[in-house]
Amino acid sequence: MARIGVDVGGTNTDLVLECTKGVFYHKVPTTLKNQSIGVVEGVQGICRKAGIDTTDVEMIVHGTTTATNITIEHNGSECGMITTHGFRDILHIGRHKRPYNFSLHFDVPWQSQPLVKRRNRIAVRERILPPTGEIVEPLDEQAVREACALFRKRGINSIVIGFMFAFLNDAHERRAKEIVLEELPGAYVTLSSEVANVMREYERFSTAAMNSYVGPKTAFYLRDLDSRLREAGVTSKLRIMQSNGGVSTVDACAKRPVRILMSGPAGGVIGGASEGEMAGVPNIITVDIGGTSADISTIPGGVVKIMNPRDTYVSGHPVLTPMIDLVTIGAGGGSVAYLDEAGAFHVGPRSAGSEPGPACYGRGGTEPTVTDAQIVLGRLDPDMALGGDLKLDAALSHKAIEEKIAKPLGMTVKEAALGVLKIINSNMALAIRSNSVARGIDPREFSIMPFGGAGPLHGVALAEAMACRDVIVPVAPGITAAVGLLKTDLQYEYTEAVIVELMKAGPAEFARINAAVATLQGRVQAELDNDDIPRDQQRITVVAECRYHGQGFELRAAMPDGPVTDANRHVITDSFHDQHQLDYGYSYRTAEVELITIRAIGSASVRRIEIPTIAATDGSSIDRALMFVRTTTFDDGRTLETPRYDRTKLLAGDRVPGPAILHQHNATTLVPPGWVAETLDYGNTRIHRIGA
Amino acid sequence: MNQMTRPAPATTVDPITLQVIRGSFETIAEEMGHVLYRMSFSSIIRESQDLGAGLFDAHFNTLCESESTPMHIGSIPGYLRGIAETLEDDEWYEDDVVVHNHPYHGASHTPDLAIVVPVFFQGRLVGFAGNTAHHVDIGAATPGLIIDVPDVFAEGMLFAGTKLYRKGQPNNAMWNYIRRNSRAAQQLVADIEAQVASARLGAKRFVELLEKYGEDIVFAAANQLMDYSERMTRQRISEIPDGDYTAEGWLDDDGRNRDKRLKVKVTVRVRGDEVEVDLTGSADQTPTAYNVPFEGSTKVAAYAGFRKLLLDSAVSDIRVPSNEGSFRPIKVTAPLGSIFNPKAPASAEARFTQCNRMIDLIIRALAPVMPEQVIAGSSASISFAAYSGVRPSGDYWVFLEVNEGAYGGRPRSDGPDSIDNLMANTRNNPLEDLAMHIPMICDRYELRDDVPPGAGEFRGGIGVVKAQRVLTPAFITHESERHTEAPWGIFGGSDGAVGKCTLTNPGHPGEEKEMYSKFSGLAVDADDVMTYYSPNGGGYGDPLNRPALKVLEDVLDGYYSAQHAKEAYGVVVDLEAETVDMAATEKRRHAMRQIS
Repeated sequence: MARIGVDVGGTNTDLVLECTKGVFYHKVPTTLKNQSIGVVEGVQGICRKAGIDTTDVEMIVHGTTTATNITIEHNGSECGMITTHGFRDILHIGRHKRPYNFSLHFDVPWQSQPLVKRRNRIAVRERILPPTGEIVEPLDEQAVREACALFRKRGINSIVIGFMFAFLNDAHERRAKEIVLEELPGAYVTLSSEVANVMREYERFSTAAMNSYVGPKTAFYLRDLDSRLREAGVTSKLRIMQSNGGVSTVDACAKRPVRILMSGPAGGVIGGASEGEMAGVPNIITVDIGGTSADISTIPGGVVKIMNPRDTYVSGHPVLTPMIDLVTIGAGGGSVAYLDEAGAFHVGPRSAGSEPGPACYGRGGTEPTVTDAQIVLGRLDPDMALGGDLKLDAALSHKAIEEKIAKPLGMTVKEAALGVLKIINSNMALAIRSNSVARGIDPREFSIMPFGGAGPLHGVALAEAMACRDVIVPVAPGITAAVGLLKTDLQYEYTEAVIVELMKAGPAEFARINAAVATLQGRVQAELDNDDIPRDQQRITVVAECRYHGQGFELRAAMPDGPVTDANRHVITDSFHDQHQLDYGYSYRTAEVELITIRAIGSASVRRIEIPTIAATDGSSIDRALMFVRTTTFDDGRTLETPRYDRTKLLAGDRVPGPAILHQHNATTLVPPGWVAETLDYGNTRIHRIGA
Repeated sequence: MNQMTRPAPATTVDPITLQVIRGSFETIAEEMGHVLYRMSFSSIIRESQDLGAGLFDAHFNTLCESESTPMHIGSIPGYLRGIAETLEDDEWYEDDVVVHNHPYHGASHTPDLAIVVPVFFQGRLVGFAGNTAHHVDIGAATPGLIIDVPDVFAEGMLFAGTKLYRKGQPNNAMWNYIRRNSRAAQQLVADIEAQVASARLGAKRFVELLEKYGEDIVFAAANQLMDYSERMTRQRISEIPDGDYTAEGWLDDDGRNRDKRLKVKVTVRVRGDEVEVDLTGSADQTPTAYNVPFEGSTKVAAYAGFRKLLLDSAVSDIRVPSNEGSFRPIKVTAPLGSIFNPKAPASAEARFTQCNRMIDLIIRALAPVMPEQVIAGSSASISFAAYSGVRPSGDYWVFLEVNEGAYGGRPRSDGPDSIDNLMANTRNNPLEDLAMHIPMICDRYELRDDVPPGAGEFRGGIGVVKAQRVLTPAFITHESERHTEAPWGIFGGSDGAVGKCTLTNPGHPGEEKEMYSKFSGLAVDADDVMTYYSPNGGGYGDPLNRPALKVLEDVLDGYYSAQHAKEAYGVVVDLEAETVDMAATEKRRHAMRQIS
């Protein structure tokens, strides 16, 4: 009985394994061209490390940035769209509101980086009319076939079908899909009524388009991974972390990759929240720094926040799925430092990834990255990466920075490297600000929790920039997101649009509501059954998303136990009035309450990974952990003799004063002068100002 | 009792606290705006978010404002000054709530009702929480919007310093009066209640902030933030060479006198770190509603124009807070009795397109000295349509729709297409949401394809075409512009295209009636379709410098025809192969350069 969490980042693939023998960590380079190769190698490697057979693994929970990276790097599938005649440009017009009030030179992401180019958006005759969804003009099937011919000519195989009012009647969308699959067998097809069966054409079409944009690549990846694991003799269930912090199946995610756009970051936030709990610190700002990007989330009082689906955007496009509240920026160890044609100095968002990777990897990369800057400054020891498993070439880092940055700008290599870090830290601080200070959260009451292998190199600089109280470094910073994967519940959500004015409702409407509830309950139950969760451990919650008739935004209201009837409908309306009062400080007690969507959430607790505590210090000198002393350059420009300690040999209560560097297999922690690192109960670390 | 020690004025707030208070202010304003649009019932507020909300000090300085729509941002202090002139009881009591919309007492225009509550701290009035929102119908001469009316009294209910609550007690007579004087009374009353909830929330948060950081720190921080905005604005102004810069344009008509175009003349005087926008030379005030309230709209629009030009928030690393500081170095002049500063009792409700045109002309005036910051001419108008009708029950339905325009080409990028421009920044009403609630259906909502956008190295944006059909007999009032003068191209770019508006009916194919840009209370039949085509933006720079491959992409995407590509850009496209004929293109471009 073993469980594995595996988190694939842009640069590294991180694994954690929990079994009766204990908890094991492992890290392998991400295989960019096909991430599943690295995952399979990692799974085999960690099983060897734990001394168990791959057949002993009962479940693998996987967090992936495959879908996310596609949106960041704008390299999704070339998509075709079939839409209603007269409405070709809904995706281009959006909500016709520009991103900035006071700007003339703004970018409009949905126009400059369209999910579907206009030439591939084909409008066909068909018409469904509100409010009943009656068909007043049949689907022009010939036009659908002609669109397919054009897509074939252009080599397009990922198709979005989005018709006006499909949320009332999906018959035309379904028929168009049949035709597309006849004409383009094997095409990846997304219907707007399948991914977001709600009113509001732009948001629904955008969600569908995003699904088709990331779909083929993501689906290929997930299915390929599944079969490679089988080939490698791994028989366990494979589950995928979704953006909402719950996990789902490969099949469901391959069809709806739009639900896993925040898969990778979600594991990190959940892992960070539980590390906060272990450190006894309720208010934390997690900064998960990977090779390509950094994910930032503010967790006040230990509670992970979920965004309202009306506020969820990915790369500037609305995507109607539940997501953990976090911000992602293109800043990581692999972020490339470069000078633009006008001579301006940038770091990121472009990343060197792991192939070719930073210059120091010696895989042919010649552009300097953040990692190269850390090497040049002596903050990363080239012979110690991944505990010495990965050999880095400092001379290549030096050369890259010298040639690409220092010489053109007339600086020393040291100055250029410090500049790289200053820029990347400032970018991260601005993103942290947008997720904290800009929402009225006082960072002085929060701890920075940096993770990802290189995260703890930036922790103190970010805490200083944000005036945070201190820095908490997790037990295994390079693996925190992977650990988070083993700390989440199973969770499945299904929704159905059921538009009913509750106060006017009669037996027919109640029957519709109850039928929808039964269908949704059946769906989530089937998912949990499939996970072998006994019925008595399944939690199924049904909520009614309502608004006052005429409003535009829904709030969640409770449903009565058992079927909705004339006698108990007030349970929904009372709960809605109360929620409205709570959220807005006001309610319209006599106004009509309209039910819009029923949502069923099925969940089941799974056994959470337990991290063991370490021994308390015996009062002996921390020299027991001293590895060697080398020079390191700090942000103030001083280059100091800086001792390196083996973090795993430090005991609870040990205090390491800066300047110092703490090494462990998967991460490096920088303790600048003026700061002290205190080892906590689980081997986690608090870094604070000396005297604070 | 109220003579307690005043807070020490000279406190300096440390940089971290300053940023935290700034963040708190901005969050409170966003929360106020959020509550207002999420709670509200009319689509103009809940979907378009035609609203503003914020906190103000006792001297009417803005402490923070929600990033809603620019026309509201900066307008509330005008309302507060107007309320001070007209306040019932001549004083504020705790738990008062005031409604105000009088255009000759600081309001932006009458449909934008302000709701203001006083903020008391330790028994003293220390500031205000307030918001403005555009209401569907306040009982004007025609449903929803007005243009061809005789005077301000045709605009509907006028409120000036009117207390809806006095010391927490509702003024029932006033609520009843409001309920009896609107065609959309239920929405109006519910939306006013949403405004009250939003303002009260703001006041509560304001007091919490004062309790947490102390009154002196909070107000000192507010003053520092205003000084900071002022410094930033002055710095940018001082980078513009001193001089007088002028531009002119023409508005179609006033909505009644069709043969008389109306001049807009803008003179920008730059002197050191100060600037004056002088509108002298613009048309006299009109006899219709087509005038701009000076305090609540003319000044607000001029400030906003400079903020876009000088403190572009998309490209600047530094974000300047939204407050009075940035207005201090800017003076706005318009002669009393002119279209930008009408005399009572002229009506001044339909004021948006003039404001947008003024900003467009400020940009044009400064083009010679700021070529890297200005953009070519944008549609710089608006389409504001009021559709209404009477349901079988005898109740009215009223729907307000804001239609977008397009931007001019820019020094480094094409003009954005089909988007709210300059002073406008609302969200469109989802077509599906609309049709679920109102007897209307949209027949077409796409990019304009009847005329190309202004050609240039960076092309102009493409306007929108929107066709709305009414399912029952209805009334339409349409406030629009720019049927006669196309957005200007610059630095070798060509002009964009004028807007147009037609009336058709699928039952009478082939018949198309061209409409004026403004019309009032037009009675239409069931199935009549109003189609609006917004102007296309002008081009920036020589079209012959546009990379041929970009021209190909434009043609493939249907932004303009292969014929236009050849004529305007000198690019020869092979449509079947989806490629550029490079040799033919080079030849043609060479020939075109010889001629020009």
